[in-house]
Amino acid sequence: MRRIETEAIVIGGGATGAGTLRDLSLRGVRAVLIEKSDIASGTTGRNHGLLHSGARYAVNDLESARECISENRILKKIARHCIEDTGGLFVTLPEDDPSYHGKLIEHCRYAGIRCEEIGVREALRMEPNLNPEILSALRVPDGTIDPFRLTSANVLDAQERGASVFTHTEVEEILRDGDRAAGVRCRDRLTGEKIEIYAGIIVNASGVWGQRLSASAGIELRMFPSKGSMLIIDYRINNIVVNRCRVPSDGDIIVPGDTVSLIGTTSKKVDYDRIDEITVDDDEIATLLESGEKLIPSVSRARVLRAYCGVRPLIAVSGEMDGREISRGIVLIDHEKRDAVGGLITIAGGKLMTYRLMAEMAADLACAKLKAGKKCRTHRTPLPGSERRVDQARSVKFFTGIPNSVVGSTLYRHGHRIRNILHREKRNYGLICECEMVTEGEIEYALKKLNVRDIVDLRRRTRIGMGPCQGQLCAYRAAGLFVKYDSATSDESNKMLVDFLEERWKGIKPVLWGDALREVEFGYWIYQGLFGLGDVRFEEEAEKR
Amino acid sequence: MRYDCVIIGGGLSGLTCGIRLAETGASVAVISTGMSALHFSSGSIDLFGYNGEGRTVYRPFEFLDEFVGSNPRHPYALCGARQVREALFYFRGQLDLEGIELYNNDESNHFHVTTLGTLKPTFFSQRSVFNEKIRLAFEKKSMIAALNFEGYRDFYPELAVINLRRNVLFRNIEIITGKIVYPDYGDPQRNPFEYRSVDIARIFDTERYLEELAVQIRNAASGAAFAAMPAFLGISNFKRHHKLLQELTGLLIYEIPTLPPSILGMRIDNALKSRFASLGGVYIAGDTVTGGSISGERLESVVTENGGGSALSAGSFVLATGSFFSGGLVSEFSRVREPVLDLKVYSDAERSRWYAPEFFPRRGHPFLEYGVETDERLNPKTGDGRRVKNLYCTGALLPYYNPIKEGSGGGVAVSTGYRAAELILEGNS
Repeated sequence: MRRIETEAIVIGGGATGAGTLRDLSLRGVRAVLIEKSDIASGTTGRNHGLLHSGARYAVNDLESARECISENRILKKIARHCIEDTGGLFVTLPEDDPSYHGKLIEHCRYAGIRCEEIGVREALRMEPNLNPEILSALRVPDGTIDPFRLTSANVLDAQERGASVFTHTEVEEILRDGDRAAGVRCRDRLTGEKIEIYAGIIVNASGVWGQRLSASAGIELRMFPSKGSMLIIDYRINNIVVNRCRVPSDGDIIVPGDTVSLIGTTSKKVDYDRIDEITVDDDEIATLLESGEKLIPSVSRARVLRAYCGVRPLIAVSGEMDGREISRGIVLIDHEKRDAVGGLITIAGGKLMTYRLMAEMAADLACAKLKAGKKCRTHRTPLPGSERRVDQARSVKFFTGIPNSVVGSTLYRHGHRIRNILHREKRNYGLICECEMVTEGEIEYALKKLNVRDIVDLRRRTRIGMGPCQGQLCAYRAAGLFVKYDSATSDESNKMLVDFLEERWKGIKPVLWGDALREVEFGYWIYQGLFGLGDVRFEEEAEKR
Repeated sequence: MRYDCVIIGGGLSGLTCGIRLAETGASVAVISTGMSALHFSSGSIDLFGYNGEGRTVYRPFEFLDEFVGSNPRHPYALCGARQVREALFYFRGQLDLEGIELYNNDESNHFHVTTLGTLKPTFFSQRSVFNEKIRLAFEKKSMIAALNFEGYRDFYPELAVINLRRNVLFRNIEIITGKIVYPDYGDPQRNPFEYRSVDIARIFDTERYLEELAVQIRNAASGAAFAAMPAFLGISNFKRHHKLLQELTGLLIYEIPTLPPSILGMRIDNALKSRFASLGGVYIAGDTVTGGSISGERLESVVTENGGGSALSAGSFVLATGSFFSGGLVSEFSRVREPVLDLKVYSDAERSRWYAPEFFPRRGHPFLEYGVETDERLNPKTGDGRRVKNLYCTGALLPYYNPIKEGSGGGVAVSTGYRAAELILEGNS
């Protein structure tokens, strides 16, 4: 059994946990992050990647709207390589209540969100694919944010400042020392290794999974999981975030993201016991397609690449069990005060947009309890990759000889860190994933620096296999590179390939018709017909994965 | 234009049918949308690899004799076991005329090595995959060197070797891996780390590189009897250069399929097209049949995307458009249809039953068994139930068989293509 002592433990590698780890590291507090799967693999990575201006919440929840616009401004500075400042539109359809338009303008003013009325013709000029029947349009400072990149950048910064990270490592038990939580016992799910970590403070940032975790320390924490489903369209059919101007409902938003567009979302209650098994239902797909088509008619001709869903971590505020006091806002719990268990705090609720604020609140409390650490600096210290504004034209010139598309994609994903990734050696910039222009050098960098332990992790760091072909060719190539760069044995690589394809399959199944079915037949033909991957038998070690 | 026969689809099945018909002096046109599934194939011709329980079938013709009796809707049953054999050996003869030799293990299947080092039972393979010398050297447990070009991204010998070593058939056989480097070749602007199998095939097709490559291969193989290489050993000059390379190295040079495009499959594709052309067949590439006019029980003519509205008429038609992947079948949110003539299709109405819960299911994916329903003469029915007597459906378009689960894709394509030609010839005489 390995034993580690540190100052702070953060449980959960979503945006909030990663943000808390970074915040603590910036304050000079030694910290360890434990994540049961991969960074940004839970709720963080399962939303539409909308950098909210707050307008969506302005009418119903002014406090959330204010938090959003304030964080929106901060993130545009500290995380610029994770963000596209696309702007957003709120459009009213003929069937929508026209009075919401005025209400939204008014409430955006209360919240301090710039919201200007633009003509229908101007809106169609900005976003030509928009439904030409719209009655009116408002422009707001929405944008897009890549949750994988954002979370990974937070982790990378923390690690560069001395923090440690354990992914695919599950907390089995919170260890008590009398009336205090003194540490955690965890298990590496890939190797089976057991680790005990002790610290002065434990921050539970495990989101919806926090209910289970707290129970292991004898603390009751009640979550009200709500499922949100989304569809990914195979092309970037819009360049500006498009919102429907009405009381928030299903299928209201179409967000461009990298090479694709996303239609979101739905809202369905799910049983807590089922949070790890949720899938997208046919009626949700129908709703999303139908609503999406109303905003952008070409949705009907687009191919749906995949469907996925996340669980919103709504939490009961005061331990009440009837759900009346569910909050959609941020909840910070000092378990010493609430449950007489020292050394443990929970940060929950909130949204991706407010991850930094949540991290700041958690780190403030953690530092107060540790009687250590400096003031928060996360609102003005740029994340790795966003240190400096990088100019595309200058980068293309700097990397003369490397195809512009490769320079552009690497820059888009890694910002200023492009200099740690790309160099003028042909091996380095040879393409592995042609859909997303991922090079061998980018994969090598991710394997060595970004806590990548399998091909699914690699996909979150680089977008390999996320494009129109969903990894038909690059998955095998990636498996080969794990061996080449000593990141896995041959057996482990082959097993990862199975896991990656099975994971992709989960998101494709719900939308298996049309070209998605063609693509699947092709992929199955290659990986089973040609490769016989389904017939490979693994040694026990790899089987554990 | 009027032909004796118009074949829609230029893959393995369509071309086999076309060659058989053109050989008799008939005027035949093949209309092909684009690359056929041969470009994604192993380049071996499977007959029947696995029985219903997933166990390896060792003697496929013996197996078929019984199988067709209890599976009357299976495409092999529509052909009859005797004609399946006739078709396969006819096919081999035709390829032989084009310099592609296919080898079989008498009445038995043999195994070919896959990209990941698993073994697949198959019936015909090219000389770099199976022949008598390979069989003998393997039985003597000769050492194998799995070689690859440094930086070739579409094949990783380590991922195959681990599985080969674990296979009981390879017990006591030493397998090593080794690297060779590209000769000074091609456009310096291109990145050799992005070469595909076709780029490398061009190197092997160029005679002046062979000696240098032979030296490298012999050195890297360090004493092995086999040099197993990714399948990229040339297309147009494969037969001659493979022999030459074996002589120069003193090694048996074996090929393992790679990520697409499949050089092994492209050799067959080229040979079939060349044979068809030499018999006077008309190959219309890059065009898609969009519809046809049926009157009574006959398809009179078809129209194509680029035909500018003019119809192609023929005495008989063959529909060999493949499955979903090739566009022969189209799936929508809640139904499967045949896009050219809206023929009656076998499928499941419930979309959730089209597929298995896992991507690699033990029982296979049901959608692979969907297709256009035909009678025993391969004639389909239209959506409103009318039989079309001069239209024959062949290959992956057919239902009631699972090419991957059975390991029967190539054999079904060849034998139903051949069967259609025989039925057409029968009708004419």
